[in-house]
Formats: sequence, C-alpha cells, structure tokens
Amino acid sequence: MTQRQVEILLVEDNQDDVELTLHALQKEKLANNIHVARDGEEALDFLFCNGIHADRSFERPRLILLDLKLPKVDGMEVLKRVKADARTKAIPVVILTSSKEERDLVTGYGLGANSYIQKPVDFDQFRDTVKNVGLYWLVINQPPVAELSQHSATAGS
Amino acid sequence: MTSGLARTVLASEFAVDPEDHAKAILNILEDFSEDKVRVEQTQHAVFNMLQDFAEEKSRLEETQSATLNLLEDFDAERAKAEGVSRDLRESVELLRVAKEAAEASNRELEAFSYSVSHDLRAPLRHISGFSKLLSEEYGPRLEPEAQHHLQRIVEGTRCMGVLVDDLLNLARLGRRDLSLQVAGLNPVVEEVVADLKTECAGRNVEWRIGGLPFVECDPSLVKQVFQNLLSNALKFTRPRPQAVIEIGQRNHQGTPIVFVRDNGVGFSMKYSDKLFGVFQRLHRQEDFEGTGVGLATVQRIVQKHGGRIWAEAELDQGATFYFTLGAPEKTELKTKAAMAGEQA
Repeated sequence: MTQRQVEILLVEDNQDDVELTLHALQKEKLANNIHVARDGEEALDFLFCNGIHADRSFERPRLILLDLKLPKVDGMEVLKRVKADARTKAIPVVILTSSKEERDLVTGYGLGANSYIQKPVDFDQFRDTVKNVGLYWLVINQPPVAELSQHSATAGS
Repeated sequence: MTSGLARTVLASEFAVDPEDHAKAILNILEDFSEDKVRVEQTQHAVFNMLQDFAEEKSRLEETQSATLNLLEDFDAERAKAEGVSRDLRESVELLRVAKEAAEASNRELEAFSYSVSHDLRAPLRHISGFSKLLSEEYGPRLEPEAQHHLQRIVEGTRCMGVLVDDLLNLARLGRRDLSLQVAGLNPVVEEVVADLKTECAGRNVEWRIGGLPFVECDPSLVKQVFQNLLSNALKFTRPRPQAVIEIGQRNHQGTPIVFVRDNGVGFSMKYSDKLFGVFQRLHRQEDFEGTGVGLATVQRIVQKHGGRIWAEAELDQGATFYFTLGAPEKTELKTKAAMAGEQA
C-alpha cells in the first residue's frame, strides 16, 4: 500500500472547527493531504504508528496543528510526547486553540511549541491566520532536511 | 492607824470593844465596795472587749464578703475574658472560612474565565465561519433581504466576539500582578498610533504628541490604556473633517498628569459618573460602536497603578482624559493631583 505523505496533521475534536480549518487550508491550496485526528490518543497513534494506525509506515507530517482541549489525551500531553521523541521533535507544532490563557501559553512554549495562536472569532481573520501559518511553516520555513531524512531512514526500515 | 488596829486585835483576844467591832465591819464593807468597783471595772473591761470583738467580727465579715465579691467579680471577669477569647477564636475561624471561600471563588472565577474564553468563543467562531461561507458561496443566489440578514448574523457574531474578549481581559486584570519597570511613555504611544494606522485610512487625522514622562509602570498594561483612549479619540472624531488628537503631559507639583485630548463629539458632563462603568455607554451603537468595557478596563489599570483617571468634556466640543500613574512614595502629591482633578 502506498501512502501519500501527510503534510499537515490537524488534531481537533470539534467537527465545525475541522470543517472550517480544512476549508481555509484548501482554499489557499496550501496542503493536499491533511490528516485529521479527533483526539489526542489518535494523534499519538497516527504519529507513532500504533493502534488503528499500526499498519502505517512511520513518516513525519510537515506540520502539526494542535488544539489543546481534547478528549482522552489532551493537547499538552500530545505536545510533550512529540517533543520528547527524537523522531518527532523536529516537527513544527502550532497550538491553534480557542483560549488565550496565560498559563497555557507558558506551558505550551515550555514544552517546545513552535507557535501559539488563538483562533480569531471573525472568520476572515481566522482564514488569514490559517493561511499565514500554512504559508510560513510549509513554504517559507526551512526544515532540517538532513536530520529528518536520517531519522526517517532508521525509523522507517 | 495600823498600830491602833494591832492594838485592837491584841485587845480583842481578851475583850471585844464594840467600837472596834463596828470599825472592823466598816473596814470590811469598805474593802468589799472597793472590790465591787474593781469587779465592775473588770466587767466593764470585759464588756468593752466583747464589744471590740463584735466590731472585729463584723469587720472580718465585711472583709470576707468583700473577698467573696472580689472572687465573684474575678469569676465574672474570667468568664468575660473567656467569652472574648472564644469570640476571637470564632472570628479567626470565620475569617479562615471566608478566606477559603474567597480562594475557592477565585478559582471558580478562573475556571469560569477559562471556559468562557474556550467554550463561548468556539460556537461564536462557528456561527461566524459558516455564515460567512454561506454568504460567499451562496450569496449571489440569495435575495438581497436574505443577504442582509446574513450580514447581520456575521456582524452580531463579531460584536459578541469582541465583547467576550474585552470582558475576559477585564476579568484577568483583577488577578494579574503588575510587572513594574521604568518606561518612557512616548515609545508606547508611538507604537499604539502605528497600530491604529489602518483605522485612520481615508481620514484626515492630526496626531500631536508632546513630550511624555518616564514612569514606573507595567508597560503592557499602560499600552492598553493608550490603545483604548486613542482608539476612542479616533472613533469619536469620525464626524470631523479633520480630527486633532493631542497627547501630552501637565505637571502638578511634581506628579505628571498625562492627557489625551480630541476635537470629537464629546459628551455632557452630567453623565461623567457613568463614563468608567462596565457596559455604560454614552452614545448609540448606530453612531459609535463599542462594548462599554474599554474605559472600565482603562480605569482598572490606572487604579492598579495607584493612579487616578478623570475626564473633561462638553457636548460637541471634544473630550480630554487625564490620568496619573501614582508612585507610592509620592502619595501626598498624588492626592493633591487627584484633588486638583476633582476641581477640574
């Protein structure tokens, strides 16, 4: 089975938010292959090829968009596990959440989040935000290619 | 006489002389009466002693009763003292309970703010998002009236979003500790003016920025003060062909008073007491949009700095807002400045 590289892992439990975010990303044609995980556990299973994703071969998404309030395993825990694992710690994680709580910001950055963005209420602003995030992390930003492919080779073999 | 009596006794051995006899009786009687006097004196003395004793006894009884009274008073005092200390203990306990309740309600408020920010904003975003998509994707096929309704939904959601954010900001201020540093206010104002550029688009706005003081303050909060005051000035000068917004300082006995003056629509001073209340607005929403939280936030920030804010205005003649950011060591000056403000 061939698997297309997932460009964005969107970790979001709310169906409305999933739809609106996908709409914004697709409108800007920023990502062709977006995988949606509806809770923290599924996100971790996807990333580390466990559970329902056990038959997936390990491959890094280029960007993780992470909500914080998630069922089962919350966003902070997902972030902690991603940043603690050598295979995944280089993946940019953008916290995209409803709240702008000071302690969430501090915890998020403390755990190694690459950005923290509060979803704007206004849809135009939301669309702009998603566009800018996608543009920055998928187009402008340069990932550490050598390191990524080396890990990818060892983990994937 | 002694020799006479000796003689008499000698003579009586032989013959009793009646005269001597009578003398002897008289002598005995005399002795007896002397004894009687002595007995009476003794009796008297005893009587006196008894009387003294009775007096002593009554004095003793008085002392005893006084002692008893003292003891009784002491008991009452002790009971009172115990009462006081019990009251104290109860007060301390009540205080502890109140403190716990306050802490619990603080935690609750925090949780509430969190959930307002997260749970209330999410559905708002969805309403905003989907009505926007509806209007974009199906708008051309809708009747103009339907399009108008959709537009109202979008606008209503936007307002509520701003309101929720403003309220959350105000609620957070209460819990936040000031992070004080000495900062010049000019860079803060310049930053805010730059942020407001887009709102100035297509308008003729003259900014007059004077020299502002260096003050000990939390710069991010003071920035919010200027954001609110300057965007208000911008908003209420909208009907003017040329808006003039002046930011400067006055000095009142060593305390700098910062002011923001505009030539906008102003307001009547009879409503000045409502100016800084939450949700209090002096203009209709159709004329000037707003949530009524901005100036309440400004006042909260100024008061947190130990300062004071007040305004002078006249209907249609512009408005001036004054504020101080009090330095603790200048309390007296600050009070005077505040008094001057009251007179102003």
